[in-house]
Formats: sequence, C-alpha cells, structure tokens
Amino acid sequence: MSVKMQTERYQGVTSRVQWIGIAIMAAMVVLCIQFWRLQVLSLNEFSQLAENNRVWQKRLASDRGIIYDRRGDILADNRASADVVIVPGECPPELLDTVCARLETWIGIDAEELRERIDTHRSAPFTQLQVKRDVTKADRVRIEENLHALPGVTTIVHPQRRYLHGETAGQIIGYLGEINRDELERYADHGYVLGDLIGKGGLERYYERLLHGQDGYMLVTRYASGQPQLRTDKSGRPYIARRDTRGHLLSTEAQPVLPRSGEPLHLTLDIPLQQHCEMLLRGQQGAIVVLDADTGAVLAMASAPGYDPSVFVNRGMSGERLELLSGKKPNRMINRGYREVYPPGSLFKIMLAAAALEEKAADARTRYYCPGHFQIDGRGRRWHCWRRTGHGSMEVVEALAYSCDVYFYNVGLKLGVDKIQHYSNLMGLGVVTGIDLPGEQAGLIPNPQWKDAINADKPVWDRQWYPGETVNLSIGQGAAATTPLQNAVMTACIVNGGYRVRPYLWQERERLRSERIFSETTVEQVIKGLLLCVEKGPPAPTGTCYRAHIPGMSMIGKTGTAQVVSLSHIEHYDDEEDIPYHQRHHAWFVAGVLDRSPRIALCVLIEHGHAGGAVASPVARDVIEFFYANQRDDPSLMLADKE
Amino acid sequence: MAYAGRQVQYQDISVTLFNPRNLLRIDWWLVIVAIALAAVGWFVMYSAARSTDIMYFHRQIIFFFLGIAALAAFVCIDHRFFVGIAPMLYLGAIALLVVVSFFGTEVKGSERWLALGPLRLQPSEFSKLVMVFMFAWYFTKLGSRIRRLHWFLFTFVIAAVPMALILKQPNLGTAACLGPLTIAMLYVAGCKKWHLAMIIMLGLSLLPVLWWQMKDFDPETPTEPRLFFELRHYQKMRIYTYLHPEYDPRGSGWHTLQSRITIGSGGLSGKGYLQGTQTRLNYLPEHHTDFIFSLLAEEFGFLGAMAVIALFLILLLRGLLFAYDGADMTGTLLATGVVAILAFHIFVNIAITTGLLPVTGIPLPFLSYGGSFYMTTMAGIGLLLSVRLRKQSLSHADMHSPVGHIAIYAAKK
Repeated sequence: MSVKMQTERYQGVTSRVQWIGIAIMAAMVVLCIQFWRLQVLSLNEFSQLAENNRVWQKRLASDRGIIYDRRGDILADNRASADVVIVPGECPPELLDTVCARLETWIGIDAEELRERIDTHRSAPFTQLQVKRDVTKADRVRIEENLHALPGVTTIVHPQRRYLHGETAGQIIGYLGEINRDELERYADHGYVLGDLIGKGGLERYYERLLHGQDGYMLVTRYASGQPQLRTDKSGRPYIARRDTRGHLLSTEAQPVLPRSGEPLHLTLDIPLQQHCEMLLRGQQGAIVVLDADTGAVLAMASAPGYDPSVFVNRGMSGERLELLSGKKPNRMINRGYREVYPPGSLFKIMLAAAALEEKAADARTRYYCPGHFQIDGRGRRWHCWRRTGHGSMEVVEALAYSCDVYFYNVGLKLGVDKIQHYSNLMGLGVVTGIDLPGEQAGLIPNPQWKDAINADKPVWDRQWYPGETVNLSIGQGAAATTPLQNAVMTACIVNGGYRVRPYLWQERERLRSERIFSETTVEQVIKGLLLCVEKGPPAPTGTCYRAHIPGMSMIGKTGTAQVVSLSHIEHYDDEEDIPYHQRHHAWFVAGVLDRSPRIALCVLIEHGHAGGAVASPVARDVIEFFYANQRDDPSLMLADKE
Repeated sequence: MAYAGRQVQYQDISVTLFNPRNLLRIDWWLVIVAIALAAVGWFVMYSAARSTDIMYFHRQIIFFFLGIAALAAFVCIDHRFFVGIAPMLYLGAIALLVVVSFFGTEVKGSERWLALGPLRLQPSEFSKLVMVFMFAWYFTKLGSRIRRLHWFLFTFVIAAVPMALILKQPNLGTAACLGPLTIAMLYVAGCKKWHLAMIIMLGLSLLPVLWWQMKDFDPETPTEPRLFFELRHYQKMRIYTYLHPEYDPRGSGWHTLQSRITIGSGGLSGKGYLQGTQTRLNYLPEHHTDFIFSLLAEEFGFLGAMAVIALFLILLLRGLLFAYDGADMTGTLLATGVVAILAFHIFVNIAITTGLLPVTGIPLPFLSYGGSFYMTTMAGIGLLLSVRLRKQSLSHADMHSPVGHIAIYAAKK
C-alpha cells in the first residue's frame, strides 16, 4: 500500500501547537477559578443549601383540646378521620391514569379533576395531594385492601373535630376553619402553617391558643427521589414512612419532639339545661341566659335559631355551610345572648330604681302619683303609662311591682341622664360584660355626648339632648340597646346583693367581681319590689309576671317589652294577634332565685313575642324549675368554692 | 489481524504494520498519568455506584480492560495504516451513522445506540476518532495547499456530513465536539490565520440566529421545529434553563442547581470518601455519568478537584508535546486531534458541572460511566503513544534500541 503524502512539517507548526497548549491551560485556569469560587468563597451558602436538602423538619400536628360541660359531658372531641391521599411521584407515570380511574370507581371521585390536579403539581411530585377527605370506613377498607393496585395512594388518619351535641351550644362552642392570612400573621410565633384549621367562632376561637396545643416535629433525612411521607398507623399515630419507593432507608435524625395536645376545656355550661332552654326557644327567635348570680358562671346561653358546628368540619355539607354564611335572615350564626342588642324596655327600671335609691333621688317613702300619663313640668308632650287608667300613688316597691312608667319618668328626670348612664354601665348595661367569647356587642346607653357626636354634621337642634329623651330612656326605650347577657348580669347584681360579676364559660377563668355597687338597703328595696312582681297571691296576683311564680321559692322577676316600632304605629290593631310579626314588641323577662343554691339570675328574650309577662315569664319559670329539679338529682354538681 | 507481520511499503520506507514490540517502548509518563486517572475513576465510580447500582462499578472495570486492549491495538498497529485508509473509515462511519439513525435505539431522547447482540455501540463516539484520521489524511494530502481558500472551506464540508447526521440523532454534545476538533487540526495544519478568524467570526454571527430562535421561546408550550435548523424543544429548554436557572428548579435547572450545591458544599477538603450527602441522597442527578466530577468535588473537595484537573492537564500537555515534538505532519496532526477531543470533553464537562455552560450530555474521560466513550478515550491514548513511537523509531532504528534488541531476541526464540 503506497500513498503519496507530504509529511514534512512546515515552518512554524510548533508555535501553533504551543498556542493550542496555551489555550488548554487557560481553559483549565478558568475551571480552577470557578472551583475556588464555589468551594472556597461560597462554601457556607452551598453547605446550607445541601443541609436544607438533607434534613427536613416534619411537623407532627397536635390533638385539639377536648371541651367538657360542667358535668364532664364531652361537647367536642376528636375522632380519627381518614383521608385518601396520592403522592404522584411514587406512582409510575404510565399508571397514573389507571390509578385515577380505579379511585373513581372505588371511592367515587372525579378522575379527570384529580388528573388535572396532579398535572398542575408536577413540579413538586412528592407532595401529598388530597384525593378525598374524611372517607367512610367502607371506602377506607377498600383502599387499604387494594393498596398494591394503587401505587402512590395511601390513607392518612388524623384527628378530626367532632361536636357531639349537634346544635346544642353550637354557637358557644364555635367551629373551625382554615387559617387565613390575618390569623397567620397574628399567630406567627405559634407555628401555624397555611391550611391549618383554626377556631373561627365561639370558644374554639376565643381559646384557640389553649385548645390548639403545641405541634411537635421530627427531623428526617430526605432523599431527592422520595420525600419522607408522614403516615399514620392503624391507631392513627403518625410515623415516617421509613423507606421511599426506591427502597432507600429514611432514618430519623433525632428523637421526635412529640406534639402536646391542647388543654381540655371544662365549661360552666350545664348541657341538660342548655338543651332544655333551646327546646323552649324552638320555633322562635330569642335567647335565654342563665348565670350563677354569685360567680358569673354561665350555666346556659341558648339562642334560637342556632346551627350545628359539625357542618363546618364534616365532609359534604358545603351547601349548608354556604347557607349559614350567606347572611340570610334570621342569622343563625350569632348567639343572640351576647351578640344582638335590643332596647331593654322595662327591665331598665330595675337599674333606675336601684340608682335612684343609691343616689337618694328617691327613697323608700318617696311617692309619685300616676294618672296614666306624664308631662314635663305639666306642659307639652304627654308620655303615657302602659296602663292608661293610671296606677295612682306609687312608692318604689309598688312602682317596680306594677312597672309603673310614670313613677320612673319622674325618677329618671330627677336623677338625670348622666347618672342613669353611670349606673347602667356599673351594672353592666351598655358595656361589654367581658365574657370569654369573641364578638361581644357592647350595646349602648345614650347620653348627650353620644348624641352630639353621632349628629356632628347636623344642625344644633338635632345635636341637643332634650329632657324628653331622658324620659324615654327612663323606661329603656329610645336608643338604649342591651344584650340579654347584660340584663342577666344586671339581675345577678341584684340577686347577689349589689356586685357586678363578669360572666365566664371556662371554669378556670379568673373570676372577677366588682366592689359593692349598692348598699344593702337599696338592694333590699329593689328585691322587695321584684318579689312582689312575681307574687301570685293569695288573695290576687299583684305583679306583672305572676305567671313565673313558683310556689315555695323566693324568686324575683321583671318583665319588659321592647318596642320595635312606635306604639302609635300599632295602636290601631284591635287584637295583638293581628299585628304583623316584625312589628311586634320583643318580650323580655329577667328573674332571680334567692333561696336556692346556687343562686341564679336569668334573662329571657323572645323576639317579637309581644308582651314579656305573657310570653317570656312562663319560659323563665320552666327554666328555673328544670334547673333546680336536675340540681336535686345530683347535688354533687354544685359549683365548687363559692366566694 | 490480517496485516500482522506483513511488511508494507509506505513512503519509501518499509514498516511493520503490526508490531507488538512497540508495547515495550511506549511513553510511560503518559501511561502512568492515564492509569492514575483511571484509578481515580474507579474510586469515584464505586462511590457513585453505591447509591445507584454497583453494577456500574463492575462494568467500568471491564470497560477499562477493554480500553487497555484498544490502547494496545493502537500502539501495535502503525497509525499511518489508519491514516491511509481514512477515506474508507470515513465513508464507513457515515454509513454506520445513517444505519443507526434508522435502526438505532434511542436512550433518554438523545443518544443513539446500535445493538449488536449483547454489545451496544455508539457509532457517534467512534466517529470522533475517524474524523481525526480523516483530517490527518486530508491535511497531509493537501500539504501547503490548505492555505488556498477552497481547500480550506472543503474541510468544513468533510466535517459537516457526520456532524449533521449526529445532530440529527440528536446528539448535540458529540456534534459540538467535532467543531473544536476541526478548528484545532486546521490551525495546526497550517491554514491561513485570517481564514480561520473569518470562520470563527461566522460561527459567532450565528448567535443572533440562536437568539432569534430563543426569543419567542415559551417553556410551557412545546413546539415542533418548523425549519430544518431549528432546535428541538428540549434543546431550547436547556439553553433557557441555563439563562434562567431559577425556572423549574425540579426540571432541567435542577441539574445545574444541585450540581453547584454538590460542588460548593464540598469545601476545601471535601466531605470524605463515600460521605457526600448530595450524592447519597440522590440530589445530584446523573452522578455516575455526566456529573461524576461534582461527586468527586463533593467528597474530595477543592484540593481533590484541583489534583484531578492537574492530572488531566498533565495528560493533555504530554499529548500535545508529542504533537510539538513530532517527527512528521501526520503524527502532529493526529496528536493535536486526540488532544483536542480530550480537552473539549474535559473542559466542557467540568464547566457544565460548575454551571459555566448549559447542560448537555458530554462525558468526562476516565471518570464517566460508558463503554464506547471509555474505549474511544483509551484508543486515543494509544494513538498518542503510537505517534510518539513513530518519532522514536525514526530517531533510533529498531536495531539500535536496547529494548528493541531484547524484543527481537525474544521473538527469535
């Protein structure tokens, strides 16, 4: 084989080879510089990134605290709820469609929707995607028996809130919902993450920190190919899946910091009583508040209509959820006991009588004559007494017993609006009572400053406070607005001898009681009047609320009627049955029991119930009878350590 | 070997086509450096294989010995024989590339394999060496005529045919390898410098074309290439993630990001052998093939990486010395070509692991897993040794070499 070749090297070839060598050396120097930058200059940064890759903190969610009533009945606890989840990264891509289709036939989810969700999460294939929340036991068994046919699918058991008494005390217990941005900021230091459930209403919200407990965590080594998945064993205990799909061992780096369960919450509520109250309110709108008059412990705070908090935590009730939150009237979400305000009506006379006696604006002997109407200085507008024929000459005890408007017009004018407001607030009217529930309404007791402020843009005659307004306020009409709870607190103040108590629901909450507001003689006079109120005779019923009378019980009571529209507006109806429902008065009744233990104070409000004496007082009587009857059944349930 | 022992008339001198005695006269410097790198490769491969499949380690050792056989073959066979039949090799390589593009099996969307029974070959790997021979033949044939523009440009025609076939596979890395090879051999062959400068300028002026291709690129919507020179979606994707590594950190950008983390967290002296967390936990992708150098940098640190880069540099410069100190043009060209291929792979592979260049499949000589490429590398080393031998045999005739004496003596017995 012979080939003609020119194999002599030309002049200068060596220098060209040299240049190639220089180019190679330059390239290697570039690499060296890059390694210096990465490994020496940025070592810390990259070490941290590698460490973040390696170790992963897996959160262990805490159990929410259990809520008990005062008898130890469970109101809210946690049950094991199973979710079906899929980790797309653990399923061979070609099987994903089959798995979705199987899930559709077995547990009835929408395969297409799931497939779409998997696609949108494809950048993070090792996150658990929820397939179905809170599956039934049958579904769970079906999934767990067929896990081999469902790669990537697993069931996760976690505690789910359970409200055992349905609607009973639903508004007080409240409900859970997913944490929002504001709450996330507010609880920033407590380890909440997006997607956590948090108390959204009632006690669940008020005692969120107590009930939530402390989340734990465990550190686990994380493989790129399979993030450790938090799984639960048969009993619902969380553990880390120790091997990923490729069989790599996932070892824990440190002992797990176990979660601390939420504190149990023992309430002062008496669930049978609460249920009874709710039963009494069924079909109406209104509220019943029962307090331990000496401590302020809330024994019952029923409100109708109510709702079942389970709606917010259970699956497949979104329709009801939406309806509840739609704001449709009547609003079932708010507890009318402390979140709705009504004019106090004649209940205000209790406060006024006590204030007048305390301020010496009137004493036990002071008499005013009631001709059935009232005029300031005998001139101008006439204010009527509810009894058009008049009550005649009245002392404070009688005035309370018969609820004589004219007597209180006189006393109110003499006392003046500032004193009225002062004593109202002292007794808890028009101010927040401080109950341990969120969203309490303060209500309002009007005064000249208030009127001036809200009418700031109006002419002076609209801003001015007129004596007539004081007259109106004296019988609890006009702008006055109070909650049933406030009226119960006011009644408790009379029952316990002149102390304002702070109502509370959590037994361990600090009990607050004001300095004595009224002297013994003041309270004595007021009690005398209110006792007479419920006196049934013999010889004849004396007071306005004899229907509440319980033989052999020393009981005080007072009716009230809160006008929704002015009296003249509905006067032309002959029969009260003819008055349209929404124009009827609200019916009030407060009562107190003096000679039983515990001494209780209660307030009944029936919206549009028309007359307190006829509608609300039998309800109160029923509540009191029920309470003490059950109390007798079980004397060990007396509230401990009375102060 | 059909030609073993036959005397062939070649350029007025008769040479022994197949001469096993050559093995005794090889340049031991180059061999020791190559074996040192192969040993480093075993260590690192063991570490990489432990977290994937230990089979890779075993196979890599087998590849080494196959490579040694290839090296020995290239030492024993006179390289001028291959140069002589280079046009035939060239046509054969093109034929194989055509065959593989029709009958080959596709792996990971890019590499093409030819399955011959139990063997799986990558013709595109071997075509690199064929191109070295082809250019050596062409430039030796031309001599100083390479300074004429049309002969200069015809070089690119020779290069373009296999390049286009490899690109079509599509195997961007191997095709790109042929570029520097052509440029380096042209330069050493003695072309006019301004011709070369023009070509390089022309190449750079293609960047606007690339920019034009990339300007409307949307990573979310894969589009079929409409024009023949348009890049595939996954290729555009690689360029895109090179420019925007923060996009899709779990996808293509993941490779670069995790490789940089792997290297950076190694520090000065590394995490220790078999202690690299990034590798153990599978964060480093392709850690037994293209990203094996990151594993080395993680476990042996900056010092280890520098040591291996130094070994590579010694290897390349030693090879280049053979070109510098060559006896004839053919040897100089062959040595330049082999060094160019090796240097390209070493530089580009390591630059990719450190995030200097966009991710594309370029294996690292001696370290990356892969039989075809290992054999190509070892054959290239054998070729370098052969070039050196030619110089020696010209300066000292076989009979005058003491080693040669012994060899002949041994042969006679």
